[in-house]
Amino acid sequence: MASGAVGVSRVRTRLADPAVRRVAITQAIIYFILIVGAAVSILPFLYTVSVSLMNLTEATGGRALPTTPQWNNYVEAWHDAQFSLYFMNSVKITLISVGGALVFCALAAYAFAQMEFPGKTFLFTLLLSTLMLPEAITWVPNFITVSWLGRISPVPWLNNWPSLTIPFMASAFGIFLLRQFFQQIPQELWDSAQIDGSGHLRYLIKVVLPLSSAAVMTLVLFGFVGAWNALAWPILVTTTPDWRPISYGLLSFLDEAGALLHLQMAGAIITMLPIVVLYFFTQRHFIEGIATTGLKG
Amino acid sequence: MAVQNWENDLHVDSTASQHAAFRSDLQQQVRAAPSWFRGRQGRRLREMLLAYSFLAPAFLIIGLFGLFPLAFAAYESTLRGLNKIVGSYDGLGNYVKAVDNLIYILTFWIAIGLAYFAVTTIARAVREHRQENTNAMRWVLPAIVTATGAALFARFVFVLLPEMLLIPSKLRGQNNTQEAFRGLVVETWWLPKVQIALWVAIILLAGGAAWAMRVNRSVARDSRDPIYFVPFFSAGISLISGGALIWLTWNEINAAYAEALEEGVGLELWSQIVTISAGFLLLLLAWRLWESAGHRTSNTGMAVRLVSAVALMAGAWVLIAELPRVVSAGDEDWWNGLMATVFYVMGTVPIQLGLALILAALLFQKIRGQTLFRVLYFLPYVAPFVGTAAVFRIIFSNRPTAPLNSMLDLFGADPLLWLGEPSGIIEMITGGRIDLGPILSGPSLALVAIMIYGIWTYVGFDTVIFLAGLGAIPNELYEVADIDGAGGWAQFRHVTLPLLSPTIYFLSLYAVIGTFKAFNHIFVLRQAAALGTTDTASIVIFQAFKRDTRYGYASALAILLLLIIMVITLVNNRIASRRVFYG
Amino acid sequence: MNTKRMWMLAALMVGVLVLAGCPAPAAQAPAAMEEEAPAEEAMDSGPCAPAADGPLAGIDPRGQTIVWWHQHSGSREEKLAVIVEDYNANNECGIVLDAQNQGGYNDIRDKVNASTASGEQPASLIVGYQNDQAFYQLNEVLADFDKFIDDPNWGLSAEERDDYFASFIEQGVHPVFDGQRLGFPPNRSMEVLYYNLTWLEELGFDGPPATPAEFEEMACAAAEANGDGTGGYILRDDASATASWTFALGGDVLNEDNTGYVYNGQATIDAMTMLKRMLDNGCAYFFTEGYPNPEFAARRASFTQGSSSGLPFYANDIVTIAEEQGRDMDEWGVTAIPHTTENPVQNIYGADVMITAGQPEQELAAWLFIKWFTSPEVQARWVEASNYFPTRAGTEAHLSGYVEENPQYGEALALLGHGAYEPQLISYQAVRDAAETAFNEIMQGADIQATLDALTETANELQEELMGEVQ
Repeated sequence: MASGAVGVSRVRTRLADPAVRRVAITQAIIYFILIVGAAVSILPFLYTVSVSLMNLTEATGGRALPTTPQWNNYVEAWHDAQFSLYFMNSVKITLISVGGALVFCALAAYAFAQMEFPGKTFLFTLLLSTLMLPEAITWVPNFITVSWLGRISPVPWLNNWPSLTIPFMASAFGIFLLRQFFQQIPQELWDSAQIDGSGHLRYLIKVVLPLSSAAVMTLVLFGFVGAWNALAWPILVTTTPDWRPISYGLLSFLDEAGALLHLQMAGAIITMLPIVVLYFFTQRHFIEGIATTGLKG
Repeated sequence: MAVQNWENDLHVDSTASQHAAFRSDLQQQVRAAPSWFRGRQGRRLREMLLAYSFLAPAFLIIGLFGLFPLAFAAYESTLRGLNKIVGSYDGLGNYVKAVDNLIYILTFWIAIGLAYFAVTTIARAVREHRQENTNAMRWVLPAIVTATGAALFARFVFVLLPEMLLIPSKLRGQNNTQEAFRGLVVETWWLPKVQIALWVAIILLAGGAAWAMRVNRSVARDSRDPIYFVPFFSAGISLISGGALIWLTWNEINAAYAEALEEGVGLELWSQIVTISAGFLLLLLAWRLWESAGHRTSNTGMAVRLVSAVALMAGAWVLIAELPRVVSAGDEDWWNGLMATVFYVMGTVPIQLGLALILAALLFQKIRGQTLFRVLYFLPYVAPFVGTAAVFRIIFSNRPTAPLNSMLDLFGADPLLWLGEPSGIIEMITGGRIDLGPILSGPSLALVAIMIYGIWTYVGFDTVIFLAGLGAIPNELYEVADIDGAGGWAQFRHVTLPLLSPTIYFLSLYAVIGTFKAFNHIFVLRQAAALGTTDTASIVIFQAFKRDTRYGYASALAILLLLIIMVITLVNNRIASRRVFYG
Repeated sequence: MNTKRMWMLAALMVGVLVLAGCPAPAAQAPAAMEEEAPAEEAMDSGPCAPAADGPLAGIDPRGQTIVWWHQHSGSREEKLAVIVEDYNANNECGIVLDAQNQGGYNDIRDKVNASTASGEQPASLIVGYQNDQAFYQLNEVLADFDKFIDDPNWGLSAEERDDYFASFIEQGVHPVFDGQRLGFPPNRSMEVLYYNLTWLEELGFDGPPATPAEFEEMACAAAEANGDGTGGYILRDDASATASWTFALGGDVLNEDNTGYVYNGQATIDAMTMLKRMLDNGCAYFFTEGYPNPEFAARRASFTQGSSSGLPFYANDIVTIAEEQGRDMDEWGVTAIPHTTENPVQNIYGADVMITAGQPEQELAAWLFIKWFTSPEVQARWVEASNYFPTRAGTEAHLSGYVEENPQYGEALALLGHGAYEPQLISYQAVRDAAETAFNEIMQGADIQATLDALTETANELQEELMGEVQ
């Protein structure tokens, strides 16, 4: 079977057509669509960047570009929003919840995808139904849960990491997503794994997860974005800065700098930067999946 | 490959469970296990227990933070009281406030649906039992006992829940200490009625399960007889819950009649239920006829069926036209909210998914700047919406010099109000000359602007997941297609699409569920000038819950929304189950 | 590949476990519940010693830690922290106050309601509006201030009591709950009209408008000067603005026995008619992209309307924009909403602080802090830090220097005497939304009388509906 590099290039050449001309036209169309699409998705965003570099007059005067970029806005936003205070909290919260989500969702998704047990359909429907309740309703019962768990367990939950991370360690979204990918793994692999004397857990770790790395990375990424941008819930369960995330810093800063559009934008860009960097460096892994690992046999 | 030979051997077996069980046979020859876990049935049991242990951690968390809110909402929806978690019992009162008498028709039909499900499940088992001489019937009693146990366990939850939720009010004031809290929890747990409810449920559950185990053991170890426990169990559960629902509705209707009698007003609940139900039955029948018409070979037969289908539909329409009168006393905000929600879902999901699929397919090609494009498309989803909402407020501003209005100006068009425009877009396009009514005039321009914002945000999200799905398609298939000389489009149509179907299925389901309860993007952009045309169901629920603290009413609305999403998900599943292909 | 990924996974897991294992910061229980009042020490007689008799006899506030949930952020929060630090260092009772920002008013409200639902003790001191108090008290969350105010040992003297503006302090009294006093005013704001004096003078006017007619004339003149749809008055659709205009034209939005709403009085109709006319003539416009202050500062609006608590933000923006545009700063000010009444009747509003019911020691300590915080000297410091209005007449004596430096604040302060209040009915939050929608309907051309009639009906239905759920 192909080695990694060859595999990738094969993917990339799969639209190759003998007629070179046609390829050129196709390519031109592809680029056109991609560039137009990119422009639409990026323009509002570029405007954010542009405003974040303006002064107040320009920001509120409906201008498109700043005359001289005010880099100082970023410094000001960083300090005013006390991002340094909240940054590490967000990192910790994100790592704990994403790590937990990975383990728990993978196990449950594997059971749904590859194992047989009574009540499978029922449990899966039940799982999906948890997605269907509007969030406004869930805040009070979930607050009751974390408050009570904190009062009967040795570790307090409110104002502490459990309330910020444990509720997000298993989600119907993650289980459903991984199940879809696990289900596509050919049966033969499980059969041969069994001949090798491998059990379910080992098969999951050694074969299923690596083969689904694209989905796993996707789950990590969205877990990261979700945890990083979460706002309403962290505000509800924290009363002190000890565990408040970066999005709280942004919000309290917005209250203060409400009218100062340029600082608001600078703050928003600072908060999203870590995720963009993360995605930039990991996006390669999202499509590598089978191409690099290949099938045994 | 070896697998194919096994499959030939297995031609008698069709269900996946047997397939899996057979496979584990191989392994079994090597390893010995305790007697319970020996043999075919034992292996099933072992896999079952392992699967449950895999599910346990996730379901513990989801149970606490996903299922508990569901139970909480179901319970709250039967209560009334401002800012009261344990209010006074109001039966279906909150639902009646929201959708008027329609709720009686709904509960009635849900109960019928549950009964229908139970009957078909049992009928299928019985048919198999007769045809293949399996051992279905011996599962009936243990399954029914366990189902009763499960239903009683649900009852136990709803006995315990109110008692537990009363603890905070007992704690209020000066004795609010951790010890007092723990003491009250223990005290509540040991309340006689809680304990009785618990033990009755546990005894039935355990008894049923043990009985089922015994039956399971009495089945020959290596027999391939399917286990009929689940179908009978679920039939039992649906019969019990359907019965409970009917009982509740019956009581509520009688109470409503008694009240009406007291107040001296006429009430026509029953006739309404009959009328509307008959309408929908006719519609169902018409649809059946229409479908069967397609299979007819003779032209006259087809024509007769089509004509009678149309006639039935007309009849159905007459009856269903009663509906507005049935729901007339419902909450107008709620109906408007539902309409806005439907507009929002229909306006965002197809566009968002279509765009994302195209982009993902293109981004997967060999192109320059692939990395850059992927990052660019992802940015909108990552940006905190407090920031992007501010930008979209500017873009969609009513100011004549705002970005979109300046563009309109270039084309010589008048500036629009965008986020502050309450008129429907179809009405605006037709120039408002015809009175189209609220549904036909379409979503307001304000809502459309918000939809664009939603699409803009989520295309990146969908694209990333599509990319992951594309990554999971083995290269060999494309290589084979290349050798077969299939062109780009043919490859996309015959290789990519089918293999991507699990991802498409996932995303479409997730997007529909997500947009039905979409909140944040709407909430940050809504303006009073849109006169409420942007208030979707989730906004109405939010206002009832948070602003007005009408927990009971908000929960009832949430349950109604959940039912709608559930029905749509089931329909989606039915369609998808024929089309999704898992490699 | 495979092993590498496994290692990454393992490392991630280890990281997670390490983080999870980090010693959790000592939970700051909102109330130091374990602290027991020292056993009956009859001879205890230092400062802050428990009273020997009276209703609060034996309750010892010393050494209590009090948490205060507030909404002040940014510089207000910083300046508040300085005042609180001073209190913690110097109060003779050894009370420690912990002031914590909890987001906005709605976040505090959510938090209190969630705490109530779960049996979690909320902070001893919370900030919130008067209709929030009613919601909270449905669950008996709050303590009655009267038991502290009237206490011979810990309360206010008759003299002190009279120093509070009577109308402010009466806002927290709730007839629905047996006349309990559930809130206490630490500060107030009012709805004012911001005007650009320099610009008005350039246009040939010699001062801010006093009557609606003058106001309309000036706004139209400014709009004409700009000529691009801006320049006039920025319409404010908030219910507080509607109430303010109604008050200014001699009406009220509450019915006579304070049990329902009247939005269709003549004053409201006149106000709406005028505003609609101004919109139609281009003398007023909607600005929906954000706060109006930068528009005002950039001379795109000659008048804006809003809470006086926005003063520091206006001041900032005027300075910044003038600097950035390289021109002299416009002289600006705040004035009463143009009125036809004899005295300018101002819409005065502001959040109260509330004491949550809990340990008596906690409640008492919380009261002692409030008493200190609203004493004239401290209040003057707070007022200077926040630009809010004081709630005690005595504070003004300490503010003379500040008023001189901040003439706009002085102008507004002078209006404080003529206050009117928005409804405190339990449905007011919902009615505000309805009023906002009605305002927009009118501005979009709906019939004024019919819309206001419908609004009145809706508002009273909402009140009836919500009261119907109160048991």
